[in-house]
Amino acid sequence: MGLLTHPYVLYALLALLGVGIALALPRKGRGYQTLGVLLAATVGGLVMVWLGVRATAGRAPLPNLYFYIFSLIALGGALRVITHARPVYAALYFVMTILASAGLFLILSAEFMAFALIIVYAGAILITYLFVIMLATQSPSESDTDVLMAYDTQAREPLAATVAGFVLLGVLSSLILRGTGELAPPPVNPPGQDALADMPRKVENALRQARLMTEGERLADEAQLGDVAIDGRKGLIHVQGVDGKVRTIERKDWPGDLQVKNVELLGFNLLRDHPGSIEIAGVILLMAMLGAVVLSRKQVQMDEDAKARHAERLAAPGRNS
Amino acid sequence: MAGLVEMVSVCFGGVALAQTGYPAEMHRLTLDHYMVVSAVMFAIGLIGFLTRRNLIIMFLCTELMFQASGIALVALGRYHLDFTGQTFVIFVLTVAAAEAAMALALVVLLFRRRESLDAEEWSELNG
Repeated sequence: MGLLTHPYVLYALLALLGVGIALALPRKGRGYQTLGVLLAATVGGLVMVWLGVRATAGRAPLPNLYFYIFSLIALGGALRVITHARPVYAALYFVMTILASAGLFLILSAEFMAFALIIVYAGAILITYLFVIMLATQSPSESDTDVLMAYDTQAREPLAATVAGFVLLGVLSSLILRGTGELAPPPVNPPGQDALADMPRKVENALRQARLMTEGERLADEAQLGDVAIDGRKGLIHVQGVDGKVRTIERKDWPGDLQVKNVELLGFNLLRDHPGSIEIAGVILLMAMLGAVVLSRKQVQMDEDAKARHAERLAAPGRNS
Repeated sequence: MAGLVEMVSVCFGGVALAQTGYPAEMHRLTLDHYMVVSAVMFAIGLIGFLTRRNLIIMFLCTELMFQASGIALVALGRYHLDFTGQTFVIFVLTVAAAEAAMALALVVLLFRRRESLDAEEWSELNG
């Protein structure tokens, strides 16, 4: 087991993955592409198995099956994005990658990010890409591969680029394997339930709906009580009747939905801990919008070459008839 | 091989989508899985950026690299039980959207000038 989980096995697998990707890149000859994709897919699967065996040897709980499914779909889609000769298909494979990474985010219990990813990436950015691909394609593509542009079917320096990419990947993965070992262990007592104290209205509504608080009652006055009214960590909520008498509701009596959701914690992190960042994001988006408008308003003068080529192409069907 | 069998049996154990509060902590070796996936995706994006000659696909490959960094950020945030990683991914998304808008406007401009999406058409720019 010790030999099997040695990092050099991973590096050898990654080198093989590089060979597969180099073969899969489009070239003039064509013919090795299918082989390359198959090789890359197989080796990608083996890398996952290696990680799993290593985790089992380290007595770690494995990520569940969905992790393996989603990450293989994501990496396979990414591979097809860079190897597919047709831009529209490449964009669609990118959508597949995005959907699979949204699945990974769901497993990491980042629900908000998963759906934001689908909406922003697959819904907005990719549609823009598809529009531009359709706007900026010269000939209507037929099922025949001959109409594909030469710049789509021939990769530029496939070997050198793959070597560069995988040298980077080797460095990255060796640093990751070493670096995660030195990470601080996760906090034992995460401050999640503390956030309940910042949501008195939610607590009050939940208690009223569960009939734990009657009409006249409200959350205890903190100045009078000398303590916080909602203590998420200890699991105590103090309520106060009309007569001023304080009553405590313990966690075992709380309604089931009275918990801090991940989305709420993300909201607190975004808006309370990093309030200025939203403004910066807004400014970036505004500037991008202005820039895009200014850029695309500009009338372009074609140079002589392009004009001649354009005229030739427009004249071509006429000559044939 | 016993390891493999154990691995498969654990994998089919089902998925717990903890929606409320902080989920259970994640093991360091599980974090490795996500980081390696993210590194491989980043490398694929880099190779695509270097080899493809279509301007639009080159920008698509940069989006792939953004996506890889997003996975790493969310996984690390999940490991530390901290939501700042996710907050940062929101900014990665913002920058990606801004980049897409600007880059595609530029690509359309370049296409109108040369009637081609080939990056080599502009190789005289490298001086």
